[in-house]
Amino acid sequence: MNTETERTKGALRGESTLEARGLKKSYSGFEAVKGVDFKVFGGECFGFLGPNGAGKTTTMKMIYGAVIPTGGELAVAGLDIYHHEREIKRRIGVVPQENNLDDELKVEENLLIYGRYYDLPSKLVLRRAEELLDFMQLSEKAEATVEQLSGGMKRRLLIARALLNDPEIVVLDEPTTGLDPQARHLVWDRLRELTNEGKTLILTTHYMEEAARLCDRLVIMEGGLIIAEGTPWALVEEHVSPQVLEFRTDHKSLEELVPILEAASDAVERTGEESILAYTDDADALLERVRGSGTEIENTVYRQAGLEDVFLRLTGRRLLE
Amino acid sequence: MDTIRIPSARGSFRVWQRNITIFRKYWKTILFPNFVEPLLYLAALGLGLGAFIQQGGIDGQPYVKFVAPGLLASNAMFAASFESTFNTFVKLKIDKIYDAIITTPVNAEDVVGGEYLWAGTRAALYGTAFLATIVLLGIVFGQPLVTSWWALLLPMMLLVIGIMFSVMGTLFTSLIERIDLYAYYFTLVVTPLFLLSGVFFPVDHFPAPVPQVAWFTPLYHAVNVCRELATGPSVGVLVDVAWILVFTGVLALIPVQIMRRRLIG
Repeated sequence: MNTETERTKGALRGESTLEARGLKKSYSGFEAVKGVDFKVFGGECFGFLGPNGAGKTTTMKMIYGAVIPTGGELAVAGLDIYHHEREIKRRIGVVPQENNLDDELKVEENLLIYGRYYDLPSKLVLRRAEELLDFMQLSEKAEATVEQLSGGMKRRLLIARALLNDPEIVVLDEPTTGLDPQARHLVWDRLRELTNEGKTLILTTHYMEEAARLCDRLVIMEGGLIIAEGTPWALVEEHVSPQVLEFRTDHKSLEELVPILEAASDAVERTGEESILAYTDDADALLERVRGSGTEIENTVYRQAGLEDVFLRLTGRRLLE
Repeated sequence: MDTIRIPSARGSFRVWQRNITIFRKYWKTILFPNFVEPLLYLAALGLGLGAFIQQGGIDGQPYVKFVAPGLLASNAMFAASFESTFNTFVKLKIDKIYDAIITTPVNAEDVVGGEYLWAGTRAALYGTAFLATIVLLGIVFGQPLVTSWWALLLPMMLLVIGIMFSVMGTLFTSLIERIDLYAYYFTLVVTPLFLLSGVFFPVDHFPAPVPQVAWFTPLYHAVNVCRELATGPSVGVLVDVAWILVFTGVLALIPVQIMRRRLIG
C-alpha cells in the first residue's frame, strides 16, 4: 500500500480532523457521557482508555452515528454530525465492539456486499477485498463461511471490512479484545501501517500495553468524563513516579512497612492484604531504607512505572461494576 | 434532528440487494414448503370441501375457482408477514445485521425501506410461482382457474400486497423486544385475517356489520383484487387498489421512525 508521508487522505497531518465540544449523551436519566472535549489530528492514533461503563463505546458510537448526542458539538472529518450523517459515514471505517458480520455469507461475500453499501464499483471492491484479506492474513479463508472462522479471524475480518471504503478515519472499539497474542501482534502491526499511510485511528482499549504501543495521544475516561489526556509518556510522567517497587509479605510486617514507605517514597498503594506498591524516583535508595528497617519481606519486585499505574491511580483499584 | 425520515431509493435498493443475494443462495431449499402449503389448501378446500358445495358454486363459479385467487392473496400475506416479523427480528436483534449496515452510507430508514421492498419481492416471487401452478392445474384438469389476461398484473399486485403486509409486520416488530410475542401477531392478526377476509367464503353475503368490518381490513381488499384480476375485473376493483395504496402509504413511515430510534440510540 502506498505511503504518502506529508498529506494524509483527509486532513493534513497535524490538522484537526475530529473535534468534540461539550459532548453529552444521556439515556432516560442516566448520563453515559457528561460533556467531553477532545480533538484528534490527522494521521494520529488517538486512544480512549477507561473502565467498563466509562462512556468510551457511547463516545465511539456518537462518532460513527449510531448514537445521537443529547448535547454538545461534534465534527468528524471536518463535518458536523447533525447535518452530514451520510457523508461522514462514507469517509470513516468502523470496527464495532460486537461482531456483526453476515454469518450466512462467505468471508469474501461479506466484503462484496459491504462494498455495495458505499456504491463502490464491484471490480474495485473485488480487488480491495483481495488486498484486504491478504493484509489481514485471511486470504486462505476467503471461501469459508463466517461461521467457520475463529473469534480472532472474525475480528480481523471486521477490520478488513472497515477498510473497504479506504476511510480517512477508522474507529475501532476494542479491536483486540479476545485475540490471542499472535493475532494481537498482527493487528497492532497492521494498525501501525495504517497510521503510516496517513489514516487517523481512534480506538478504545482495556490493554495498557496496546495503548502505550499504538496511541500517539490518549484520554482516560471515567464516569462519563475525561479525567486525563496526553501522550502515554507524558501521562506516566505527570501522574506517577518512574519506578515501582512491589513488596509482598505477611499482614503484620506489611503494617510495619507502611509508615516507612510513606516517609520515603512518593506514593504508596495497598494492592491487597499482603502486598503493597511504592512509587519512587530512586528505587535503590528506597530498598536500602526498607532493608535497614529490618522488616521481614518475602518478595520484592522492581519495575518501571507504566500506563497501567496511571490508569489504576486515576480510576481506582476497586472493581467498578 | 427529530424530523421525519424518508428512506432513500439508493439505500433501500442496497438493502434489498443484500437480501436477494442471500435468498439466491437458499431459495431452492425453502421454496418447497412455501409453495406446497397453498396447494394443500387448494386441494383440501377447493376440491375436497368444494365437492360438497352444490352445483353452481359461489357466485356461479366452481368453489375451487373461487378459492384459488383468495389463496394467492393470503399466500402473499404469509410470505411478507414471516419476512417482516421473524426474519427481520433476527437481523435486528440476534445477528445485528442492521447495526453493521447503518455504519455505512446506508441509513436506518433505508434499512426499513429495503426490507419493505424485499418482503414485497418475496411475496411476488412465491405468489407468481403459485399463480403459474394454478394456471397449469386448470389447464391439466380442463377447468381453467384463471380466466382473464388481467391476471398478468397479478405479480405486480402481489408485490404491492406484500409491501402492505410487510409494513404491518414491521410495525409490530418495531414495538416488541421478544421473539415469542409474534404468537400474538399471528394468532390475533394474521390468522383472523386469513379466515375472515373472503378467501374461503364471500363475506359480502353476511349481515351487517360483517361486510362493513371486513372493508376496514387489508386482506379483504387484497383478496378482491386477486379474484377480480384472475377472472376479469370490474371498475370496483379500483377502490380496493386505492384502499391498499392509501393504507400502505399512511402506515409506511411509522415503523421507519420507530425502527430508526431503535437502531440509533
